Amino acid sequence: MNQNTSSQSDIDEIESLFHISVQPATLEVPQSVPPARKPSSPPTIPVSSPLLPPSSVSSSSQAFSTPAPPGPTLSSGFGGGPQYNTLTEPVWDTLKRDLMRVATNLKDVVLPNPYREDPGKALRDWDLWGPFFFIIFLALTLSYSATENKSKVFAVVFATLSAGAIVLTLNVQLLGGSIIFFQSLSVLGYCLFPLDVSALVCQANSTKLFRSLVVSVALAWSSWAAYPFVSTAVPSSRKALAVYPVLLLYITVGFLVLAND
Amino acid sequence: MAEEQYAHPGVCLFTVLFKFTALAFYILCSIFVQSFVIQFVVTVFLIALDFWTVKNVSGRILVGLRWWNEVDEQGQSVWHFESLDQQTLETLNKKDSWLFWWTLYLTPVVWVALGIVAIIKFNFDYLLVVSIALVLSAANIVGFTKCRKDAKKQIQQFATSSLASSMGSRIQSAFLSSV
Repeated sequence: MNQNTSSQSDIDEIESLFHISVQPATLEVPQSVPPARKPSSPPTIPVSSPLLPPSSVSSSSQAFSTPAPPGPTLSSGFGGGPQYNTLTEPVWDTLKRDLMRVATNLKDVVLPNPYREDPGKALRDWDLWGPFFFIIFLALTLSYSATENKSKVFAVVFATLSAGAIVLTLNVQLLGGSIIFFQSLSVLGYCLFPLDVSALVCQANSTKLFRSLVVSVALAWSSWAAYPFVSTAVPSSRKALAVYPVLLLYITVGFLVLAND
Repeated sequence: MAEEQYAHPGVCLFTVLFKFTALAFYILCSIFVQSFVIQFVVTVFLIALDFWTVKNVSGRILVGLRWWNEVDEQGQSVWHFESLDQQTLETLNKKDSWLFWWTLYLTPVVWVALGIVAIIKFNFDYLLVVSIALVLSAANIVGFTKCRKDAKKQIQQFATSSLASSMGSRIQSAFLSSV
């Protein structure tokens, strides 16, 4: 009978868990029909659901696993969270995934994107590596082109940007904003990308006119990128209070780029 | 009996390497490089590499734990913890996990000591580096400790629920076979 066989296989599966075996046995996800037991084979796929189905890693080999369909409880929506077989993937996969995430986030923030108005969806898959690299890059560029006091310039730019981002995030939160702390930090960091580009371009030519042009374009781009995230996160009566400091921060950075020679 | 060897010597090496290099570079940097900017960037870069390695590679391979944060559809922040099951956790190499947890907890202590030295010497620029190191180490410690607790909780839950379901199915099958 169908019920008998399924309950029997349940019992088999559970009994196998209580047997401590020398070589880890491989068990498949309960969603597939019969649990197979192979003595030494490539590891299978854990799916993160409340029952924590078994997964195993053979201790001698480094991992290689095929991606599984994500569990129904935590399926990735917009932006996509990590897949749930991440425990056994090779190191390269992790690295690639993080790099792809930085690229995707950058694209979402800086280029036109239909989801920008919704703070829940925008930059859901936040990460701080992008902002980290952008801040370091900007500080390095400005410091490199400074003729004197290089380390001071670097320290000032770095401290201003990081402290500024943290303070602005706190500002949004204190105004009753609904954005997550790290998400907002991430957004403010990614919106620095146009200013990075402008700092790089300004290296090429040091005439005042050219620099002013480049910096104002970059500033407009940064502000345009940051505005929807910040303004939709706070109640509409306080939009200006949240947006104004952000613009101020970027204008300050713009001046730093402009004044540097 | 032969002494247990490290199961993943490469990963153990990298776990220790980045931490050690960051600390060594911070302490010895004035010998090699004069410019503060380069010292800062290199040290912070090593610290960031160490953070990424511990979170994504060492945690996974040495102790079978993983943690990350996501924003769900309602815009709420959700922390995810992932771990291998009971069976595999027991087959993990004891030396690996010993190394992992010790270096995880010991490194911030060393950075705090260096921070105190920086305050005494009035080197506030270097305090910036120390604070970055502390923030990242603290993040890893909190993440992995929570993850370990979560793993233990899940194992208990799974054990009790599977026990309950096996009891239930045994009773059911006994009932059905008797009918």
